[in-house]
Amino acid sequence: MARRRRQLEPKGKDEDVRMTAGLITAGVVSIVIVASMFIAPPANVGPEEGSLAPDFVASAYNGGNWEEVRLSQLYDGRLVLITFLDTDCPHCWTEAEYLSEIFDGTSGEVMFITIAVELQISGHESTREEIEAFRDKTQFGDNQNNGDGCYSGRKNCAERPGAPHSWMYVDDLSSSIAGEWELPGTPFNVILDGEGTVVWNQAQTENHPPGEDMGEALLRLLQEGE
Amino acid sequence: MANPLADPVLLFFIAGLFASGYLLANGRGKKGLEGTNRMLDGSLAFATTGLLGSAWTWVIYNDLVRNPLGGEFCATEGFVQCGSVIGDPRYNNFFGISWGMLGFTAFATLFFLILCIRMDPLAKWSEQYTNYAWWLGLAGVPFLFILVGIEVFVVQHICPFCTIAHIALVGYLVSVWMLRERREISAWY
Repeated sequence: MARRRRQLEPKGKDEDVRMTAGLITAGVVSIVIVASMFIAPPANVGPEEGSLAPDFVASAYNGGNWEEVRLSQLYDGRLVLITFLDTDCPHCWTEAEYLSEIFDGTSGEVMFITIAVELQISGHESTREEIEAFRDKTQFGDNQNNGDGCYSGRKNCAERPGAPHSWMYVDDLSSSIAGEWELPGTPFNVILDGEGTVVWNQAQTENHPPGEDMGEALLRLLQEGE
Repeated sequence: MANPLADPVLLFFIAGLFASGYLLANGRGKKGLEGTNRMLDGSLAFATTGLLGSAWTWVIYNDLVRNPLGGEFCATEGFVQCGSVIGDPRYNNFFGISWGMLGFTAFATLFFLILCIRMDPLAKWSEQYTNYAWWLGLAGVPFLFILVGIEVFVVQHICPFCTIAHIALVGYLVSVWMLRERREISAWY
């Protein structure tokens, strides 16, 4: 009986079809990927020069309230200077003064955006109030080394050199934007063209004239654009 | 694009879902291997619709990365649109990989498993592959809930092509569940 049942039981194919199925699947996948890339090629996104700048949606302070902004919706044809800084970083203290000078020198031809991050260093704990005070140069903290205020909590933010800044400061205390932009440290500058392509990255010195800093790069790019 | 529901590509995908459902229902009514094969065709059609639907969301993603203010392949305004879902950098990727590409990879795997069974439903390994197809499909369900949750509760917009991929996964799971049931009641052949 068992022998008869075994004989009636249908058997699979002699050859293993899985290899053929794998090849068919690979073929279908390849055709679909090639067709998709033909219809809409993937953009090269990243902080490197020549790439499309990573987009972000974040809260930004423009002197009034904190409002949600999206980077790609801000492009208006002008060059965009993106500066990452930490309100507690001593080098950012002096960078802020340099930014004020460049802002005055470029007379509206460049859009300035500062992204405030919080480096994972003791004494660099920051808040939105501290970011506002750094931007506006208002009273925040004191000059005691007690963790209050800017400059590793050692200075009152109102004493920051340079003029108050009139451009937007983006809250990236969570470091999510910094992660996507592969932030190596602060201060860090990236310049975008009017459509969001990275045209100058501070870390890619090999692509720039020797010793060129962010201010010089902006002037060069503005001249090239004329 | 004014009305995404009048999009011929979307209509093509909707037709794909209906065709998949028809094949599945048709196979269920038939006995023996013929019915099983027809149901497997239904499963394969769901996987193909999901695969193509996911690939299309990847196309839209690539388009919206380049043209964030308004892409060419899907509406960016209205309740049913892609701009607020696929175009939003906060929700359109999973650790940097677009959801469309992830869905495409997942559906390609499911497609392969069902194709193997369809090409030799009587093979010794076909039961094991049916189980793999079930459990792998089920692994996509938490992501489906997350994405639908984001659409409904966070961005409050519905992305039509994402919905095609979601329905394709549900249809695929239903089909594989029916296939497993068919084995259990010894109606496979």
